[in-house]
Amino acid sequence: MIDGSLPSDAASSGPPGLLEVEHLGVSAGSRKILDDVTLSLPDRTVSAVLGPSGCGKTTFIRCLNRMVELSPALKIVGSVRLLGRDLYDREVDPALVRRRIGMVFQRPTVFPQSIFENAAFGLRLVHADEDEVDRSVMDALKRAGLWDEVHDDLDRSALALSGGQQQRLCIARALAVKPRVLLLDEPTSSLDPHGTQRIEATVRHLKEEIAVVIVTHNVGQAARISDRVAFFHAGRVVEVGATPDILERPREALTEQFITGRFT
Amino acid sequence: MSAVPASGWADWFSPTELVRFRRRHLVDRWIGRLVPIVFLVAIVPILDLIFWISQRALPTLTWTTLTTNPTGNAGGLYGPIVGTVDLLLLGLAIAVPLGIVSGLSSAIFLPFRWGEVVRGAGDLLVGLPSVILGYFGYFALVIYFGWGASLLAGGVTLGFFMFPYIARASDQAFSSVPPDLKDAALGAGARLRQYARRVAFPIALPQILSGIFLAAAIGIGETAPLLWTALFSSYPPTTLSQPTGYLTGLIWNYYDEPLTFGTEVTLAFQAAFLLIVIVVVMNVIVRLYAERSRKKLEGLYG
Repeated sequence: MIDGSLPSDAASSGPPGLLEVEHLGVSAGSRKILDDVTLSLPDRTVSAVLGPSGCGKTTFIRCLNRMVELSPALKIVGSVRLLGRDLYDREVDPALVRRRIGMVFQRPTVFPQSIFENAAFGLRLVHADEDEVDRSVMDALKRAGLWDEVHDDLDRSALALSGGQQQRLCIARALAVKPRVLLLDEPTSSLDPHGTQRIEATVRHLKEEIAVVIVTHNVGQAARISDRVAFFHAGRVVEVGATPDILERPREALTEQFITGRFT
Repeated sequence: MSAVPASGWADWFSPTELVRFRRRHLVDRWIGRLVPIVFLVAIVPILDLIFWISQRALPTLTWTTLTTNPTGNAGGLYGPIVGTVDLLLLGLAIAVPLGIVSGLSSAIFLPFRWGEVVRGAGDLLVGLPSVILGYFGYFALVIYFGWGASLLAGGVTLGFFMFPYIARASDQAFSSVPPDLKDAALGAGARLRQYARRVAFPIALPQILSGIFLAAAIGIGETAPLLWTALFSSYPPTTLSQPTGYLTGLIWNYYDEPLTFGTEVTLAFQAAFLLIVIVVVMNVIVRLYAERSRKKLEGLYG
């Protein structure tokens, strides 16, 4: 594993990642949600953001594609760079950021349209021509691991799919516009074990092409699919490194308490 | 469920619990008995009204009633029917776009606080007595703009009367789109207006259409906004600048005529009957349509 060989403090001294987060802070009034987060997220890697509820995981990944700005009450400081370019630069269009850095949410968010149109959503926004739409939708559904189940019935309403299928359709929708990074915010929290397994298999395939950042509070899931783990607590990064290092030999007491389930 | 112990409920519940449970049970039963009575209180006056109007309208209602103009003391309803439709369409042409834009801005585009201001203004307009709107239309359109009492002035006034109903329905429709879908759309790189057009609008449309039908059903029964703006006429309008007849105006004009011939009053009842039929049909259409679109979106709200 490339990333397994990285030193666990790669965040500050390793080679530049695809996404570089520096001194990121988010506050709501006087309450700090994220405090001085510095992290490097490498390409072709699954990075897990692990931590207890309310530790700022979701806010953190919403910062990575500027979704956080949709909550006008939040104040954001620090920087997030994609291949060296500051995403919060005034000249950068947040809509373009979100096309390069796709996102999938806790609960499936399919639109009440056909399966095909759901997957084609991002392409329609830029009026892609029909051939390209057809090709990209097929490609995205295959990469999301949904093609075999739906290919002969693409005109069916997406609402008729199971929860797990809907979530994979959401992944396909994000993939159809060819992002460099895919953000997954606890994508399996509303799914049954089978649905979870399918999503995890999909994620393992995806990292061969793009960077994946997955938020989870499930240690087992982080162990199964991630290459690197960043453990968050109370809005700060407690520890970051290769998954086996963090999960088997944590250096911080907080991390160990969380992993072993002795968290208070 | 296991069987009740031989000694009865007393083994399982304390005496206070049993008393409370029995009291609740009694209250439930009495409320259950009240429901049909309340239902009768609501339905009897309506049925009585419909019966009372039909009794006076139906015996002489023929096809000719619908196809001839009123002639002062007799004739038919043709002119006012056409006028009513014209006024309604003209009003909707103004109220629908204004209402939808208002709902879009309060629910999607404006920051929450400004959205509240728009909503508040809409509620104020709904609460405004329609006779005041009629006065406003008279002074602003008929006098100040010099349009004269006309189809145009009446239609525009009726449009402003219906607008807040459509605005409120649109606001509620856009606001009830699950917020997850907004995140999903924007997260896929959509701009706010693309979200509004491609995601929110199709979901909100059935509710907006219901609102439009409701506004039209209320608007079609209005008299006050039209009395000084559209005035009245027995003939169907041929231009926008002519005074125009309408069914409620005919009722207003003819209902209290002295019973010299009796025919004027009958005509007023026939106009009322026609209005009731139109409003009932519109309501039925809205309900059928709403039910159908609810089924189509089943599963969207989890």
